[in-house]
Amino acid sequence: MKKLDWKGIRWGEYVVYYIFLGIFLLFSVVLYDKGFLSINNLMNIIRQSAIMAIMGVGMTFVLSAAEIDLSFGSIVALAAIVTAMVLRSTDSILLSVLGGLAVGVFFGFINGLFVAKVGIPSFLITLGMSSIILGIARWVSGLQSIPIINDRFTFLFGSGNIGSVPVLLLWVAAVMLVGHFVLTKTPFGRQVLATGGNRLTALYSGINVNRIKLAVMTLNGALAALAGILYSGRLHGARYTLGENDVMIVIAGTIIGGTSMFGGKGYVIGSVIGAIIMAMLSNGLILFGLSVDQQMISRGAIIIIAVALTMRKQRNS
Amino acid sequence: MSAYAVQAEGINISFNGVQVLHNVDFQLKEGEVHSIVGTNGAGKSTLVKILNGVYRRDSGEIRIFGQPVHFNSPDDARKAGIAMVFQDLSLSPTLTVAQNIFLSTHPFRKGIFIDDHKTAQKSAELLAFLGMEEEIDLHKRVEELTTGQKQIVEIAKALANNSKILILDEPTASLSNREVEKLLGVIKVLKGRGISIIFITHSLHDIFRICDRVTVLRDGRVVLVEEVEKLDLKRLVTSMTGTEIDSEKWEKQQDVRTGTPLLELKDVSTSRIRDVSLKVFPGEIVGIAGLRGSGRSELLQAIYGLDRLVRGEIYLDNQPVRISSPTQAIEQGIALVPENRREQGLVLDFSVEENMIMPIFQRLTSGLRVSAARSRSIAEKFIDLLDIKTRGPEQVVRYLSGGNQQKVVVAKCLASQARILLLDDPTFGIDVQAKQEIMRIMQDFAAQGNGVILVSSQLEELVDVCASIYIMKQGTITNLVTGEVSKDELLYMIQ
Repeated sequence: MKKLDWKGIRWGEYVVYYIFLGIFLLFSVVLYDKGFLSINNLMNIIRQSAIMAIMGVGMTFVLSAAEIDLSFGSIVALAAIVTAMVLRSTDSILLSVLGGLAVGVFFGFINGLFVAKVGIPSFLITLGMSSIILGIARWVSGLQSIPIINDRFTFLFGSGNIGSVPVLLLWVAAVMLVGHFVLTKTPFGRQVLATGGNRLTALYSGINVNRIKLAVMTLNGALAALAGILYSGRLHGARYTLGENDVMIVIAGTIIGGTSMFGGKGYVIGSVIGAIIMAMLSNGLILFGLSVDQQMISRGAIIIIAVALTMRKQRNS
Repeated sequence: MSAYAVQAEGINISFNGVQVLHNVDFQLKEGEVHSIVGTNGAGKSTLVKILNGVYRRDSGEIRIFGQPVHFNSPDDARKAGIAMVFQDLSLSPTLTVAQNIFLSTHPFRKGIFIDDHKTAQKSAELLAFLGMEEEIDLHKRVEELTTGQKQIVEIAKALANNSKILILDEPTASLSNREVEKLLGVIKVLKGRGISIIFITHSLHDIFRICDRVTVLRDGRVVLVEEVEKLDLKRLVTSMTGTEIDSEKWEKQQDVRTGTPLLELKDVSTSRIRDVSLKVFPGEIVGIAGLRGSGRSELLQAIYGLDRLVRGEIYLDNQPVRISSPTQAIEQGIALVPENRREQGLVLDFSVEENMIMPIFQRLTSGLRVSAARSRSIAEKFIDLLDIKTRGPEQVVRYLSGGNQQKVVVAKCLASQARILLLDDPTFGIDVQAKQEIMRIMQDFAAQGNGVILVSSQLEELVDVCASIYIMKQGTITNLVTGEVSKDELLYMIQ
């Protein structure tokens, strides 16, 4: 029993790899005829998962601190729109990117302030903020797509390849590695985990738990903005609908990746794999030839099952 | 019909091979108010938990109204007419008084719906039965009531389940004087109506006011059963504490109360304590003796920056300091071993090492990262120094024993290189050996010129290791005891 506990406590870290392998093998066999294993399709999955993975890294920090953010989908949209608008009017990549990031930092910070200083539960404040931010996105864009025709920008943020490596992948790799390092190695990351593990104990240990909460919410806003910028580069334009379906998928991917819904445990790399699993599922459903409605229903059901299984595994350990 | 509500004979129980109750006999007469007293760890809560069906005895007989019983759960006990009124209340704060009273059974229905009218009517009858119909508004939500009123609702709830025997565990601990009066009044009414009551309290004066008989437990044995009329406080206290057994003799640091105090409080008030002044000199272990609720924990929290000072000043080495958060307290070299190690001291699912270095992540950095080597070496050092029984630094603390968990909390404080250690009842719920070890660690720490403030419910600990003991009552310090004092005297003083 004791031995199992000793080993088992890290079980949540590994379960994502089994899920990944299981689904991959299943699709490889069942969807072989439809070209699931073709290089083209696999690269497609990777590209699809990349932007989710970046959001997943932010969500890992938020969940690790025992908070949640439901507003980041709207931040993605608004950041993309602001980036595209600034780029259109100034033609400056630097200014446009700073503008986009500022949107994320600003709204993430507001979320954090309400959580840390006012003490509103994060799911509530971010649910409300989500509506506000999306409203702003619709308003400033006039419900129109804003095209981006700056090749340098689209090359750097999402569309380019260096050799045969998509630039997008470099972004993911960088965010993942930095995120992993920060969460596991730095005082900040350890304090995030401690805060999520037991808020009172963290407080009694001299950790400024309010500052930690403010920081993770802000960080998540910033990463959501980066995701929005990458979307705009990849799709050569921004629209208020960007990110609208990502919230559920990213949170699910993060939990499947081994991060605890209840704080104290977070695995950045698991979240990235979780994002790939989610992209693989979407891809598989399309290859199966399901209609959009059918895809939505199946995706929702699969996510519920996968998250339920993951959480049961975590609880058992 | 037996004249006894409860008859327990020859009760034995052990946990992990440690015998906690030895052949305990206990009788509760019908319509009697009977107090079970004893110091912490004497076995009173274990005894009532057996009566209440939480624990199962290893051997012995229990008869309720003459009928032999074997309870497997508190629910069994409730069906036999025994109800425990908990210290931490079990009411639903957002429901009304009437809804709470019949919460578990909802006996009154109209078809599938709850008959609110009848529920209210029956609740009113119950409160009238207790003589509290004036005092408590049936339609108020429980969260709007005072602690004392909640306690009475809790009693009414127990009676609604047709309980004939009530177990009250420290019912007066968190009440104001006026509320204590009310509650004692209710207990008298209950007694007059034939309800039998087991009354557990640390506040011995209450016993003389309402109890008929007392059973004193010490180290798991019954040492005295007596009618209250034939007792006085002194004899009660002596029988509770007994003579010194297997207690190690500690060197007390005498004559250190001169020179510059390491820590000094001048007229410190927060929302929960008032006008507290005290001094801790280098090398000294200062004791705080007080009942739970006397403000003893709140005093430590004030020093540790958890409660905002509304008045007064704190000095370290004669320099005034402002400590408005635990972060600042730790920076100033103050560390706290909190009262509740599982909720305030540890992250149970983290490793021993991770818990130990939690206050000092920042100090262990080399470059940007927390140095794994330094972190490991600190963990190994304290595991070794405090003799923590763990499979290694990576062991998750949830699976350590209480004593070893507490040592991890102490290690955490020492690792922060504190000069002043605040300990809030550090030996609560840990075994004798671990207790001795924690006392030893504290002594060694003080001997290096550091200061310690020790709050303890175990008065013998204070008597053994503290040369100066401050007495705390109702949020303030009433007395400073220096020199020799017996624990009987101390117990008398904190009442």
